Amino acid sequence: MDEEEHLHRFGTPLPALEKDVVPAKKPVAIEDQIVKDENGKRRFHGAFTGGFSAGFWNTVGSLEGWTPQTFKSSRADRATSRAQLKPEDFMDQEDLGEFGIAPQGIRTRDEFAKEDEQEQRSGQRRRKLMQPELGVGPIPGLPVLEQLLRPVRDKVAVRILKSMGWKPGQGVGPRQTRKEKRQATARNSKEQYLLEHYGAEGLPSHKETNEEDSNTEDEDDEDITFAPDDYEPIFHTPKENRFGMSYSGLNRDPILSKSSSSSAKPMQHINLFGEMEARANKKQLSIRGQAFGVGAFEEEDEDIYARDDMTRYDFSLADKKPKQKKLQHVQQRHVIDGFSEDKSAAVLQKPYTIDLPRDFQPRNWLQRRSRFAPMDKERAKKLETASEYKRSGLGRHDLNPDQRAQLLGEQKKEEKTAEEQPKRNPFKDRGKSLLERINARNEGFTKGGVITESGEEQPTEIAKEVKDANAAIQEKAALKTKDLPPAINSTGAFKPFLADEAKQLRYEKFVSSKLTDDKEVTEFLASMQPVSLSLWDREMEKKEFIQAAKIYRPLDGLMNDRFVSEANVEAEKVKEQEKPPEERKIVMERIKTMWKPTALLCKRYNIAEPFGGAMLEPENELKTKPKISVFDYLETSVNTKANFQTPSIIPKHIEKPKPKEVEPPPSPSPPPAPPPEVKIQDKATSKEEPSKLTFVPKTALEQAVDESRNKPISEKVDLFKSIFEDSDEEETVEEPPEKQAQEKLAALQEALGLPVTSTTSAGAQNVLRNTSPPRGIFASLFKPKKTDAAKEPAPPKFAPIEGNKLKIAYKSREERLRNDKELAMTEVAPEDIYGPKLPTALPQKPAAPEIQAEANIDARLKQLWQQHAPKKRKAEKWVERKSILSSEDSEASSSDESSSSDSSGGKGKRSKLSKPKKSHKSSSSKKSKKSKLNSKKKSKKSEKSKHKAKKKKSKH
Amino acid sequence: MPAFENFNVKTTIDCKQGAVRAVRYNVDGTYCLSCGSDKKIKLWNPVSGLLLKTYGGHADEVTDAAGSCDSSYIVSASLDKSIIYWDVSTGAPVRRLRSHAGGVRCVCFNEDSSIAISGGRDNAVMCWDIRTRRLDPVQVMKEARDCITTVATNENRIYAASLDGCVRTYDIRVGELTCDKVGEPITYLAQTSDEQCLVAGCQDSVVRLLDCETGGLLFEYRGHRGDDYHIECGILSNDAHIVTGSSDGDAFVYDLLEGKILQRIRISDNGGVVHSLATHPKRQEMLFARRRDMYVFSTDLQIEEEQL
Repeated sequence: MDEEEHLHRFGTPLPALEKDVVPAKKPVAIEDQIVKDENGKRRFHGAFTGGFSAGFWNTVGSLEGWTPQTFKSSRADRATSRAQLKPEDFMDQEDLGEFGIAPQGIRTRDEFAKEDEQEQRSGQRRRKLMQPELGVGPIPGLPVLEQLLRPVRDKVAVRILKSMGWKPGQGVGPRQTRKEKRQATARNSKEQYLLEHYGAEGLPSHKETNEEDSNTEDEDDEDITFAPDDYEPIFHTPKENRFGMSYSGLNRDPILSKSSSSSAKPMQHINLFGEMEARANKKQLSIRGQAFGVGAFEEEDEDIYARDDMTRYDFSLADKKPKQKKLQHVQQRHVIDGFSEDKSAAVLQKPYTIDLPRDFQPRNWLQRRSRFAPMDKERAKKLETASEYKRSGLGRHDLNPDQRAQLLGEQKKEEKTAEEQPKRNPFKDRGKSLLERINARNEGFTKGGVITESGEEQPTEIAKEVKDANAAIQEKAALKTKDLPPAINSTGAFKPFLADEAKQLRYEKFVSSKLTDDKEVTEFLASMQPVSLSLWDREMEKKEFIQAAKIYRPLDGLMNDRFVSEANVEAEKVKEQEKPPEERKIVMERIKTMWKPTALLCKRYNIAEPFGGAMLEPENELKTKPKISVFDYLETSVNTKANFQTPSIIPKHIEKPKPKEVEPPPSPSPPPAPPPEVKIQDKATSKEEPSKLTFVPKTALEQAVDESRNKPISEKVDLFKSIFEDSDEEETVEEPPEKQAQEKLAALQEALGLPVTSTTSAGAQNVLRNTSPPRGIFASLFKPKKTDAAKEPAPPKFAPIEGNKLKIAYKSREERLRNDKELAMTEVAPEDIYGPKLPTALPQKPAAPEIQAEANIDARLKQLWQQHAPKKRKAEKWVERKSILSSEDSEASSSDESSSSDSSGGKGKRSKLSKPKKSHKSSSSKKSKKSKLNSKKKSKKSEKSKHKAKKKKSKH
Repeated sequence: MPAFENFNVKTTIDCKQGAVRAVRYNVDGTYCLSCGSDKKIKLWNPVSGLLLKTYGGHADEVTDAAGSCDSSYIVSASLDKSIIYWDVSTGAPVRRLRSHAGGVRCVCFNEDSSIAISGGRDNAVMCWDIRTRRLDPVQVMKEARDCITTVATNENRIYAASLDGCVRTYDIRVGELTCDKVGEPITYLAQTSDEQCLVAGCQDSVVRLLDCETGGLLFEYRGHRGDDYHIECGILSNDAHIVTGSSDGDAFVYDLLEGKILQRIRISDNGGVVHSLATHPKRQEMLFARRRDMYVFSTDLQIEEEQL
């Protein structure tokens, strides 16, 4: 508490934070910061808050307003304070305040005021040198103590000067007239500038003051003199170290130590602590020792680890003081009494000066100041030599006007000395764009020259060198890539058959031959293809080649059919324009087509609809153009309609045996019709193998087929007729047994009460089975020869069998025959039969004669049906007849005896062959069936064929 | 054959609607219509040059217009792909018909103005039932392979001229489309009043006279310049003279039979294409359109006096 009283406070304390109040986080905005006077009035208002408050609440006068002073007689107190009025009497209260015009407050006197304050008050600028340097001491900023403690009195020198009439802010020297002063200021400023920038050397040796120009000034004020300007000399501190310019290392002196460099500073007059310390040192009062640590204000131990040395001890008994005094006396000889020599002053060494040539211009040669600055001679020379070749070449544009003049034999100007190097502007060419340069020397491309940065073509030696180098590189590359299959041959064509070299070779030959005719191509390829290649492979290869040639033709060729070069178009246009407008004969064409006006249109036109509105409605054209895609394009370019050829693969070795197949006389069924078969094959092959084999028609029929290949179906009727008439004849030969069978069947049906209808015929069955109308070739097949078709098991015959396609096409006849035999011998598994599931329970029943008969009919019907139903089986099976007949017979008979339905599946396969027999048999066994049929119909399985069920219904 | 009298300019009207795209007479020739590039149609008295009404509502340049037989409606075609059916007296668009896929080039009414036929840049000819509120065309004929330039009709036929060089005749009575191929793009088509012949202005600066029955080329009229403009042509009411515009600012009157130039009407000395014209349905009078102006030419001078 006691100590508190002794403490002094400076500044205003911050307002104490109240516990509850949370300090506003947001600082008060500038516009909200209002300055108020002691009355709480706003000080600044109006005129953008720059105006002062005036009067009473910003009005004039007082509360009552401005009231004039009332007259007051001074008769009573005449002698008393009449002229005692001070200026303050006429001032407002505010004017005397802190911000008023005459502030009434306590403040330091001028002597004690800070410099800046003094300056403010006096309006005089202090010398720069007298100002203390900031941040020299250990504590940054102005020295605090120095600010607090100030000398009360001026320095002696100042006092002397003042006594001599000097005032702060003035210079020293004789008084000057206005003119003189102006000149002096000008000179001073000039000198100042020179000194600052160039040092003492920069000052001119003698000044030439131009007094004449100012003579015009008025001379009448010669008598008025002014004090000279304060001249601030520049002090140069000598450089004592060898550090870089203006480098000052860290101060190695201890803080506030006696030897602090601050003492050396001319302005640091007071070093309180230093003195104190020195005294303390003398008194040995400072606490020393490592154990206590070294405080911030303490001097560090000199060398705690140093060995104690005898030299540190003074063994002499002699007193040293008198000696020192003597020395002092000696030294003081050269100084004025009361002064002492500065011992710290370092001997100023005379700096070595170098005599520089007059035209020396300091410059950093490593650095070019500007792109446009002239090059130094050395470099220019170097460049010159580097670009020597240019001049040796056709460096016409590099010649300067002089050189050109010289070449042209013009008069040379005298100023241009010969020794002067023709400085070439390296930027001259750089200004040109690269394009220009290229244009200027575009023959360089054709010549294989090299265009350099400077736009010059290298001499041919260089080009040659480059060429040689390139050649070497290419050779090397070729060596390296020799083993690799070359992707692009010399013609730049694509190699699609790299895997097979021979093939590729053939392909290349093919491409180079440029054959277009199919036959020629075939022959051409045949001449090259190895013998081992099969016919099919040959065909494939040909096709591949043609396709590849189409696809991999050079790009320009590929694009030719799509694009035309603009030049062509333009040329054509021009041609067209140039053509005289020929008197083209207008040939009128008239095309009449049907057009159906709508009913409403007719109505509005008041016209009856043509043909009573019975005209065919024009089909809605919904031709949406397909979007063009890359794939379409590729497809079309290869498979255009024009290129498309109906594939016709009719291998000869299949065609040959055909007549034989047809011929077997006892066969009751029609022979296989070759053209449809061919057709089917075509379809299959066209899908799978796009190979083309040439078909050389041999027989007349084949020729007909070949001819009719491209004809529409409607025109092919004749062909089919001719084909089927053939078979008709055969059939007529075999008619008797067939007819017999049919008659017998009809008789049986009559006997059974079944309506003798055409339903018994296979064709009708077929129709029932497949309600869809005959399509494609069948449509034309069935129309002209209905009866024939009815007999013919056409659909199953033509049905392509997936597994057998190739066999059909390419198996030799012997093979096929053998195969057929095998197939005929082996019972076809019931799974292979297409159709409703057959009852399995039936055979278990006792084979009653009625049932047998019943079953026989069933079997017969089934046979009929199966004959026409599309079945999964070998197409050739039923062709072979003779070979199977014997076994057929036995089987058929056995099936009759045993379960009919059981073996019917297997029998169905050969039903056609055994048809006459079957019918014969069934007719024989049908006699006993008649009575039982009615009773048995319920027991009959519903899953019997459709025809059967129908028949039953019709029976009812 | 009446003797030819020279045509003289009677009225010059500055239409003040930008470039005049087409000029048309109404059914009896007492009024005329001008179609402007400022999307407006103006109804004029051709004799006095009085502006009677302005019809605005199109969204693009008006290319063609036609008045109905009772002169109470106007149908107009515009490049905004729409056709507008206007009420003449109120000036209000009664119906706006949109179905064309491109700008509509031409439009016409049938005889009793129950059907409007339009042809457009979408190569389609459309027949609109204008009496009902049906907004889709009664029939669309898309046989043409290029822009339809003119549609014309009579009692039982619809003619459509196209830039594909064909004149297509849709015979409603017979139910037949006859395509007469000229071979040159046809820019305009006019019917003779006896409906026996067609006058086809072709792109090759030739006006051709076509026979309707046989489809034969009867005559060619040369002398004017077409350049690349769609120059219109016409036949005067007496069926003796053929008139056509020209790109050099003139109009040509040809003799129908002989094909010689009877008069070269100098419409303006300042050039400008005379691209549109209309012939008076009864009198020897013509309308021409050139740049911003419409010109009325006539042979007889009495009308003026009559009018006065």
